[in-house]
Amino acid sequence: MQTWSIIIDSFRESRDRKMFWVMLGMSLLVSLAMACVGFEPGRVSFFFGMSEIETSVFTLGQQIRPQAIGTVVVDFIFDLMMGHVGIIVAIIATAGMFTSMLRHGSIEVLLAKPMSRPKLFFARYLGTLTFIGFHGTVFVGLTFLVMGMRWGVWLPGYLLSIPLIVLLYSYLQCISVLVAVVTRSSLTAIMLTLVAWIAFGGIQIVDDLFTDNPSWQRYQTVYALTHTARWVVPNTADISLTARKWAGTDSVVEMMPTTTDEDQSDLNMAKRVEAARSKIPIIYTVGSSLTFEMFVLLLAMWRFSKQDF
Amino acid sequence: MVGITEMTNWAVDMIDVRKTYSRTIHALRGVNIQVGRGEIFGLLGPNGAGKTTLVKIMMTVIKPDHSYGTILGRPLGHRGKLAVTGYLPEDHRFPPYLTGAQLLDYYAALAKVPRATRRDNAKRLLDKVHMTKWADMRIDKYSKGMLQRLGIAQALMNDPELVVLDEPTDGLDPVGRRQVRELLLELKGRGTTVFLNSHLLSELELVCDRVAILVDGLVARQGTMSQLTEHTVEYRIQFDGDASAIRAKLLACRATLDGHIVSVPGHDLSRVNEVIDLLRSANLHIELVKPHRFSLEDLLIEVMDQQEPVIARAVTKEGGA
Repeated sequence: MQTWSIIIDSFRESRDRKMFWVMLGMSLLVSLAMACVGFEPGRVSFFFGMSEIETSVFTLGQQIRPQAIGTVVVDFIFDLMMGHVGIIVAIIATAGMFTSMLRHGSIEVLLAKPMSRPKLFFARYLGTLTFIGFHGTVFVGLTFLVMGMRWGVWLPGYLLSIPLIVLLYSYLQCISVLVAVVTRSSLTAIMLTLVAWIAFGGIQIVDDLFTDNPSWQRYQTVYALTHTARWVVPNTADISLTARKWAGTDSVVEMMPTTTDEDQSDLNMAKRVEAARSKIPIIYTVGSSLTFEMFVLLLAMWRFSKQDF
Repeated sequence: MVGITEMTNWAVDMIDVRKTYSRTIHALRGVNIQVGRGEIFGLLGPNGAGKTTLVKIMMTVIKPDHSYGTILGRPLGHRGKLAVTGYLPEDHRFPPYLTGAQLLDYYAALAKVPRATRRDNAKRLLDKVHMTKWADMRIDKYSKGMLQRLGIAQALMNDPELVVLDEPTDGLDPVGRRQVRELLLELKGRGTTVFLNSHLLSELELVCDRVAILVDGLVARQGTMSQLTEHTVEYRIQFDGDASAIRAKLLACRATLDGHIVSVPGHDLSRVNEVIDLLRSANLHIELVKPHRFSLEDLLIEVMDQQEPVIARAVTKEGGA
């Protein structure tokens, strides 16, 4: 009852923020924009047929390729809207939820309830995930329906993107919570979380480059450090790859047009990197990320439990 | 064994509570406070005396450096008993996105009150604090007085055995203060123990059975109102005429002269009569003889004056150690 009440209250708090409605509006707008587009063999129409272009990217023989359309939705639209914009909006919108709880005058009432501090902490943490959980569900649900009802492309595996986006956000939210508990500043929490996100992605990219370029591996210390760090920090970049895998769509690198040798070289490298990433079982990437998340959360919880308010 | 039996009779029995902030600020220096079951207990003291720290320790918001004792028969800091304890903190901030009714339901759910009871209690308490009309209005539209009323209702949602109220009349108008007073007496009538922390000494004086005066982290006085004010009785003799000629004789009787009033401290009626004889012998006409008992405010100021040298010694000793 207590945990559920805190989660409900957290959702009410997130609903009270303007960002919540901005995000909802964006999801509706993108879904509407998607519905304006039509796929037919050999062409794509826009604004319900008012204009169209000829392309064979989405066509195989005389039929449209559901996997190719799915790639556009999962790799571009979902990845941009939820994997980037949604995450940034959620980080900004929910950073204040922990600091508002910790404010003088608020925390006293909560701590005076028959509930342990760790329970209060974790319930609130779960509550902050409701923002992305709600918007992930709305966005994926709407785009799933547009794909199915407008284009006849039903990809049930795409629905698994909802827990994936919550998972990705939770990797970052634990940083935000730790910073909020230590500094009690929403702005610092936002800044450091974004920096951490960039750093996590950067580590993965650098490690991929090291792996793909054997000549680079002569810098053994840097390579060892990067490779170790990759398995310590959350694998944020692998989420979109997993989403695509579970949705059963094509690889985006297969759809990239190449005109020069340089393009072809880049494409080959991207293929190798993706192939290398695909070989890593999800249990390892998610497992190591969740271990990091639990460690950071335990640190934040320990700090919260020891504090006087 | 006698000690243990006595201990269980107290709703609050705090022994040697100590708290130091940043290793240098001694907020509490060994506080002992006992509150009987079903009584209204007032904690008073100047700013920075440690009152709020003590209240927060009771409510497990702050961890003491050292303490013994019990609250409602369980060790200090026991979370289970918080289910039957109500608390209104000073300067509380409630979630502005909730309505009054939602807030009561939320905090009561955290206090493990069943849903049906929450609904009934919210209705009853909103009515009790005269907030029924605004139950469905968002809290950010409430005035300070309305927030305070809601805060009091919030503290009572779990039908507590012990209610701890930190400045409950803060922001309330005289009518609101009177309503709170009546509510406190009603709670007492039902057997609820009330622990009050307030700056409004006149309010405490009207409702408290017992009070403790906290000065610089130490309990300077503790007892019933009559026990505390017993030694502070004086007789005031009002007269007509000029008594300057007999000022020295009055001082010899330990009486003080202030205009047309002579004050004789204590209960000693023979000394009062001696002073009257002196005034009469100087051909002064007695207009009025009246016993006067100190108010809590007088008492607090007197205690603070007395404590100052003691505190100074304690600080020096701690500093030296």
